[in-house]
Amino acid sequence: MTSRLYPVLQTGAFILLALVLCSLIFAAVGLSATETLGAIVDGAFFRPNALAHVLRWGLPLLITAVGVVISFRAGYFNIGAQGQFYLGAICAAFAAEWMRGSPALVAVPVCMLAGMAGGALWALWPALLRVKAGADEVITTMMGNFIAAQLLVHVTSGPLKDPSGSGQQASSRPVEAAWRISESSGSSPVIIAIAALVVLLGWWLVNRTSFGILSGLAGRNPVMVTWQGAKVQRIAISAFVLSGALAGLAGSVELMGPNGRLASGFLPDHGFTAILIALVAGMSVIAAAFIALFFGALTSAGLWLPVMTGLPSSAIDIIHASIALFITAKAGVFRGLLARFGR
Amino acid sequence: MNPDHLQQGAGASAPALAADAVTVRYGDVTALSAVRARFEAGRIHAVLGQNGAGKTTFARVAAGLVQPAEGSISVFGRHLAGGDVVAARRAGVELVHQSFALPPSFTVAEVLQFVGPKPGLFTRRGIERHWQGWLDGLGLGLDAGARIRDLPIEMQQSAEIARAMVSDARLLILDEPTAVLSPEGTERLFARVRELKRQGVTVMLVLHKIREVLAIADTVTVLRGGELVAGPLEAQDLTSEALAELIIGDGAARLDAGDRAALVGAAAEQHESHSLPDAPPALVLKRVSTAPEAGGKGLSEVDLTIRAGEIVGIAGVEGNGQRELVAAIAGLDPLTSGEIFLADRRMDKASLAARRDAGLRVIPFERNVEGLSLSSPLWENWSAAQLVGGSLLAQVSPRALRSAAEQAFQDWDVRFNDVAQRAGSLSGGNAQKVILSREMDSGARLILAAQPTRGLDIGATMAVWKALRQARSNHAGILLVSSDLDELFDICDRIVVMVSGQAVATFTTPWDIQAVGRAMTAAHKNRAEEATR
Amino acid sequence: MEDLIVAFLRSGTPLVYVTLAGVIAQRAGIWHLGLEGMMITGACATILGIVLAQSVVVGLLAGAVFCCLLALLFWFVVEVLKANQIIAGLGLTGLGLGGTALALTAIFGSEGAVSASFGLPRLGPAFGAFGGLSVLVAAMPFVVFACWLLLCRTRFGLRLAACGEHPFAARATGVNPGTMRLVALLLGGPLCALGGAELAAGSLQIFSVNMTAGRGFMSFAAVIFGAGHPLGATLASFFFALVGALGIRAQLSYGDRIPSSLLLALPYVATVAGLWLSARMRGGNAASSRELGQQ
Repeated sequence: MTSRLYPVLQTGAFILLALVLCSLIFAAVGLSATETLGAIVDGAFFRPNALAHVLRWGLPLLITAVGVVISFRAGYFNIGAQGQFYLGAICAAFAAEWMRGSPALVAVPVCMLAGMAGGALWALWPALLRVKAGADEVITTMMGNFIAAQLLVHVTSGPLKDPSGSGQQASSRPVEAAWRISESSGSSPVIIAIAALVVLLGWWLVNRTSFGILSGLAGRNPVMVTWQGAKVQRIAISAFVLSGALAGLAGSVELMGPNGRLASGFLPDHGFTAILIALVAGMSVIAAAFIALFFGALTSAGLWLPVMTGLPSSAIDIIHASIALFITAKAGVFRGLLARFGR
Repeated sequence: MNPDHLQQGAGASAPALAADAVTVRYGDVTALSAVRARFEAGRIHAVLGQNGAGKTTFARVAAGLVQPAEGSISVFGRHLAGGDVVAARRAGVELVHQSFALPPSFTVAEVLQFVGPKPGLFTRRGIERHWQGWLDGLGLGLDAGARIRDLPIEMQQSAEIARAMVSDARLLILDEPTAVLSPEGTERLFARVRELKRQGVTVMLVLHKIREVLAIADTVTVLRGGELVAGPLEAQDLTSEALAELIIGDGAARLDAGDRAALVGAAAEQHESHSLPDAPPALVLKRVSTAPEAGGKGLSEVDLTIRAGEIVGIAGVEGNGQRELVAAIAGLDPLTSGEIFLADRRMDKASLAARRDAGLRVIPFERNVEGLSLSSPLWENWSAAQLVGGSLLAQVSPRALRSAAEQAFQDWDVRFNDVAQRAGSLSGGNAQKVILSREMDSGARLILAAQPTRGLDIGATMAVWKALRQARSNHAGILLVSSDLDELFDICDRIVVMVSGQAVATFTTPWDIQAVGRAMTAAHKNRAEEATR
Repeated sequence: MEDLIVAFLRSGTPLVYVTLAGVIAQRAGIWHLGLEGMMITGACATILGIVLAQSVVVGLLAGAVFCCLLALLFWFVVEVLKANQIIAGLGLTGLGLGGTALALTAIFGSEGAVSASFGLPRLGPAFGAFGGLSVLVAAMPFVVFACWLLLCRTRFGLRLAACGEHPFAARATGVNPGTMRLVALLLGGPLCALGGAELAAGSLQIFSVNMTAGRGFMSFAAVIFGAGHPLGATLASFFFALVGALGIRAQLSYGDRIPSSLLLALPYVATVAGLWLSARMRGGNAASSRELGQQ
């Protein structure tokens, strides 16, 4: 029991540490830490319709996070969830453009598949660079994010530009209304079903397949798995492509669901937040489902803050960053400290 | 007056090293318990014991690398707080590590500069010239401009000794220095040690072979299970038998004489020969060559046949192609030419998974890197072998794998609490048994055992030898790579000596120890000369 | 041609300073993905110093102090708490990006941009076409040389390299790798601050949210590309800067034919190409400390 509880306690302790750091930073720039954190909690959980907001933001994050879990477990730091998410949205938007006029039952699945393919391709090239040439995937996927962001700017101000759009922010022509899988403001049974399916399949893949066990071993010690005769390259590429495909799926869900169109620079923190979800969930798909909702709540609070309280939304970025800073800290340290002071 | 000052004043009569009730704990494990010993200055002291006896820990306490939980040490009368390398070095203690503390990309000159006294700016040529002169004075035959990673292992050891001598060590401790050397290399090292003694340096050698101890040491200290069994004894009063008794302890009587001699390096040559003349071959290598990799030469034209029911030993100084040989047979190093047959199937293009299907099993060199994933659960480590052949999307039942692993561990007498515990929480011997339980199944036809007993205590070593002999009687072919000649002499049917990626000589019983030693070094010299040129 | 060189030096100098910080950390065995966060902190602090205290010196000092605080935090998390360097580095970057945005909002009431009335001292008309460049551009070669001397020609540099390459070798001779890493990260603080200062106050005299736009990560890529050698990494960051400058040039000449957003992506593409090249040249595998606490 204690051995199961320990990682949870540890995660909690480090998140607490992260919040202390946040409070210090808030205080340093002259904001009241308690008020800011209070407003965030309010915005996350106690505003009207809080659950709908949580689902709206949490479910796409969850889909991407499951992908991140798969690649991180296999030992590959695919930091490129953001870029793969963008590419997914872009490809889905192109598919939607070409399919104009066809029935929703055909068009929606095709757009989703296009999104997954786009995300998968955007993960494939860093995977090949890593596996074939040995180029570190952290930087290549990170650069992929920046390139994807420029591609999004290009697409929304070029090929898919909405001619009627205002000059404020470039955006694409809206997806046909009949194809939308949710309202602009929220979630829908379709999105919930997609997320549930992703969690289920992700859980099966991680916990009940050869791939799951071998990729877990490879993630901790690729040399050992090689000496067991596993095809490490194949595992690596599959893990990358799967995680890219899921990020792409999340992109197309955002496009076909709440957003309804592409906008340059939309949801810029999606990928990073998904990575945090995977880390806080300790690489467990089931835990990710719950943690994603928590981060969904934080994200919705980030949008609510400036509107309702005048506090800057970057407060949420600070919380995210602080959690990232501490979340991978090792258990042994706390144990060591406890032992030292306990004696 | 401060008693420390008085002690320092005592000068030459103070012992080179005095340990007072030194206790070291790593977590729950007590590595040393209340060790009390005095080592006189100006002599050659041997610290003897099996793996896990606490020898290395003792050496590291003396060098200030390990902080004792209790007790203290003093060096030449100077009291040391412990856990302070700088203070220990200032007092004149230097430790030559078994696996060398040398950054591989540094040149010899950079290593010496890095530990040396001058902090200021230097030029590369300047330090090379300066340290070359110093090295020539030591007579180590080292090139100051050579990079550590390009040096053969014996030269690396010389560089490590040079590193230790930079600060004019008065007490030089060498941790298992002979483990990586050929018999002739050992002779050269011992000559150097005697020369150091003549120059007034106190030398402490951590060893585990009685033969070597009796050849060099003035005094012998035996550790067993972290405890001091016998304090510095005069070596001339000791017999090999008495020492074996001290090292092994109560279990000594239960061991077979050959195994016992092999364990303690007591130079026994009584071996029954096991010849199985006409069994079918389990492995045939025909003129196998591999590409040279960084730091190695690759194999060149190796011919080797291992018959079913035969243990073939690979002897040689480390870094002469043993790793390449194992990797090539396992299919992890592509061949540039030659053929590999497992039983009668040609498999030099086959993947490792296919070779495993054909009965190949591997106990790799690095238990904790190639053999196990330390941070993964035990059952996953065990299951990997079951899964690699199939499809990645094959559904598996963790519960079934867990119970199968549990069964296998029980059969192999692995001490564990839970199949879900991390492999890293096991002791070295138990970890090796996990690997044995995975690799030594009934389907094994050819077993590559690479240094399978390195670092293991007596019990685990005996378990490995038993397993290998068991596999032999089940008609598996076994390739045993070991840098411990005594081990090879004890359990092999044939011994092949490798030098520079070539199989240079084959020996059968009765063994000629001198001839094997000569074969190991003959071409090795050429290599060393090449490297310094 | 002169324009191109000026543009190249302008975009390259911030990269070089930050790259040097990354090289020092890399040598000590730390993958410093927090460079981006430290760089933007330096940029923000410099501009705020100029705006609030009317002094470049105060700005630079503030930048150095804040960067060192971040470096200290990073060291604590990575070395004491043993957190994963990559994730913690990304966290540090997030802290820098978010913290500067927050500071801007807290002080000026809105996120966006702040411009200063003056920037870093310039070289002056005596230097002709290069007169508009800041003193930090002129100082850059000397700083690179000093770093090279420190890292490759002193015992300190050898010790640092030993800590990164073979920490046990360092420990065995009484050098504490943890302390050396702290020193390395703290040395990187002022360098990142200078890089940020040059970016924000070298020519533009403006700070805007997210203005580093991945330059910190590019610097890190330059460290890898340059194999952790100060001169190699400097050349690598010059290469990235050159591609960027050429991209801007191309935008001016062919802006009507090639979409500008794609030209803006050029430095990132160059970074990927650089990483690929360096990995191929070394034929090796990128090795970093990977392991995460999985369950």
